[in-house]
Amino acid sequence: MIFSKREPLLIFAGFVALILASLPVVGAPESWLVYLFLFFIYLAMANMWNLLAGYAGLISLCQPAFLGLAGYAMTVGTWVGIPWWIGLIGGGIVAAVFALAISTAVFRLSGVYFAIGTLVVPEALRMVFYLWRPVGGQMHGAGAGYMVKGIGDLSGDVIYWLALVVALSSVVLMRLILRSELGLGLAAIRDNERSAASSGINIFKLKLYTFIIAAAVTGLAGGVFYLNQGYVEPTATFNVKWTMTLLLATVMGGLRTEEGPILGTIVVVVLYFLLARYGGYSFLIQGLILIGIMLLSPQGIIGLLRRLHLPAAGRVRGF
Amino acid sequence: MGSVDVFTPVLMGIMLGGLYALIALGLSLVFGVMRLINLAHGDLVILSSYISYAIFTYLAVDPILGLVITIPFMLLLGFLIQKYILGRGFAISSETPLIIAFGISLVLQNLNQILWTPLSRGLNTSYSHMSFFIGERQFPVSYLLAFLAGIVVMVGLRAFLTRTYMGRAITAASQDKRAAQLMGINTNRIYGYAFAIAMGAAAVAGVFLGMTFPFTPTSGISFLTIAFGTVVIGGLGSMLGTFLAGIILGLSQTLGGYLFGSASQMLIVYVLVLAILAIRPHGLLGR
Amino acid sequence: MTDETILKIENIDVFHGTFQALWDVSIEVKRGEMLALIGANTAGKTTLLDAVSGLRHPSKGSIQFEGEEIGFLDPYQIVELGITQVPEGRSVFPDMTVLDNLLIGSYAASARKRKAENLEKVYDLFPRLEERKRQVAKTLSGGEQQMLAIGRGLMADPKLMLIDEISLGLAPIVIDEIFRALHKIKATGITVLFVEQNVNRTLKEADRAYILERGRIALSGATADLRENQEVKRAYFGVDTCEVK
Repeated sequence: MIFSKREPLLIFAGFVALILASLPVVGAPESWLVYLFLFFIYLAMANMWNLLAGYAGLISLCQPAFLGLAGYAMTVGTWVGIPWWIGLIGGGIVAAVFALAISTAVFRLSGVYFAIGTLVVPEALRMVFYLWRPVGGQMHGAGAGYMVKGIGDLSGDVIYWLALVVALSSVVLMRLILRSELGLGLAAIRDNERSAASSGINIFKLKLYTFIIAAAVTGLAGGVFYLNQGYVEPTATFNVKWTMTLLLATVMGGLRTEEGPILGTIVVVVLYFLLARYGGYSFLIQGLILIGIMLLSPQGIIGLLRRLHLPAAGRVRGF
Repeated sequence: MGSVDVFTPVLMGIMLGGLYALIALGLSLVFGVMRLINLAHGDLVILSSYISYAIFTYLAVDPILGLVITIPFMLLLGFLIQKYILGRGFAISSETPLIIAFGISLVLQNLNQILWTPLSRGLNTSYSHMSFFIGERQFPVSYLLAFLAGIVVMVGLRAFLTRTYMGRAITAASQDKRAAQLMGINTNRIYGYAFAIAMGAAAVAGVFLGMTFPFTPTSGISFLTIAFGTVVIGGLGSMLGTFLAGIILGLSQTLGGYLFGSASQMLIVYVLVLAILAIRPHGLLGR
Repeated sequence: MTDETILKIENIDVFHGTFQALWDVSIEVKRGEMLALIGANTAGKTTLLDAVSGLRHPSKGSIQFEGEEIGFLDPYQIVELGITQVPEGRSVFPDMTVLDNLLIGSYAASARKRKAENLEKVYDLFPRLEERKRQVAKTLSGGEQQMLAIGRGLMADPKLMLIDEISLGLAPIVIDEIFRALHKIKATGITVLFVEQNVNRTLKEADRAYILERGRIALSGATADLRENQEVKRAYFGVDTCEVK
């Protein structure tokens, strides 16, 4: 049992999940549901970015590629008669396969090269989908967007629950991964890549598995997001702003901590809510916050809390 | 482009290559000295384009003359960014400056958007739309100017790096930081100077880019990719390598447009960069 | 050698992160002498040189150069004072020419004005460097690179020269040449503090030596006395058999 030592926490988490799940039924205001929906989606993606950057040392800047491809797969699927829920799962698989495909290129790069190599990927995809009409027709955005077909009967509540399920799954998945052989291997690599390699850990394989898992979950979350949005188009989809949001949520909460992305995503959604009316200033301010946090508290809010409460044990480690 | 033979895209590609090398110089210098891929490089180049645009539009000063304002401004900005933001990040961990640079990139994109709207702008001087002719073929003067500017900056930078104490100190710090410190080089200050000089080169790049292409607040990422591709192909520490790599990318873009249509020309550049990364992660011409 | 102390290290502790590399180390260097630091690979010799050079700061104790406290200064300030370090593994700037390597040695403001004079001295000491001044440093042989590293150090116009691992990976004939040069350097009044693995050789060349063991000073004294010391014989010449047999 992975939760055995923390049973009160488990009960509390279950309680929170129940409340969140019941909100649409008990008639919570629509705007709450909108922001909670965003929270779920961002949380799932931020958890995966934390897994990549915090635990596997992969500063991946191509998350929009995963969520976008999954969104496109699901949407285009509905145009050729594939039900949305198969498309949703298919989207996760497409994202995972794509991660595997680009890994041959980007995994030859280390550190900063990896970051910029992955940054190029969504840019290239944006152009591909700008030029390519997978199923013909032009619906939305700059002439290359598609509506999600055949979801007229699908209620907003179901989509909300789907997002909740994806978010909860991502949290549980993180716990499972970090306590599995994969997580222990990643920890060994992080402590000392060379000695990990010499003790028989296949670094490439572990990082690849992590990359694929993260892509699949990010893809699933992306699929649910586009299911809710009802259409997908290249410019906003393969957009670096997604990366910014995930980065901010993770870094603000605390990179390489399990709780970090949860806290960070709450702050991001609150910021999103507060800054919405300022339009362009929103991302400007978020960028400034990102820089400030990196400089003042590189371990984010969690790091700050640990420093305040456990001055000796919580020695902040540069990640 | 009047003619349809292959000579036109070839010459265009070569001239474009000079501009690309110019854009890449700052990225290459910062990467060489600090081992940092400055994710904000493209946005800093575009910021220079906007500053030139402002000088040109509001003060009616020619953008090339305006460099007397743009270059010092970018030098100072570069020094301050390194000293107060990135430099502190280096003390935390090796990934911190990368994430900070990403943050700077987004700040600049959105700042440019707020200041100058998302509309596409260009530095439309009286001569930037003039053409010169080789036989029947017609070429934009702006491409030639950008190419020449690229060569001038490269030659100047090379002279600076090999002939002056500060330049040699930058070179030394890029080859062996520890040994450089033991030579009495204050590497922190040298990093500041190197970043400042990189931004000075970016200022020149921004001006000639603005005369060659229309730009928007989000153009930075395309030029970051091009600059990065140039560094990847050309390898580090070689001015000639950077120049040739710029030309390879310029040619791939113009020939790609010639063969497959202009809509896909940037896509070809991206795919080329990714393909080269997959085959030769440390560059075609690099060590 | 005079009796004047040029460098005085008193009771310093130095850490690498959480690992303590030096424990309560004290060393005194007299002006004009040639002093050696002996010890096994992880004994802390490089750490000690780095503490003097300002690359690492002691957490306790003091380092005084010509009577001034320097333990908190940065490397570039230390070079200005007249302390230069020839780092381990030569660490010449690989893609710069021999001449550029030497010129960067005179980067410190205090050394720039004597650049031409010092360059001549270096070429006198190592004529091979003048022959190869246009050559890129990485194409030099190991011995030539060591000469270049020492020459580059001299360009800083030092009063005290720290040399790490003089003979590492060099042929015996080259080592002889390097030591001859060190004696010439000493004769010009520059104090030399060097680290060397070859105990036998060191005890022949240096005036005095300190022996470091696991971050602590185990023994010190004039090399003539150390050569006769039973402990040294047992610990070092038991392994280093080339002459004691």
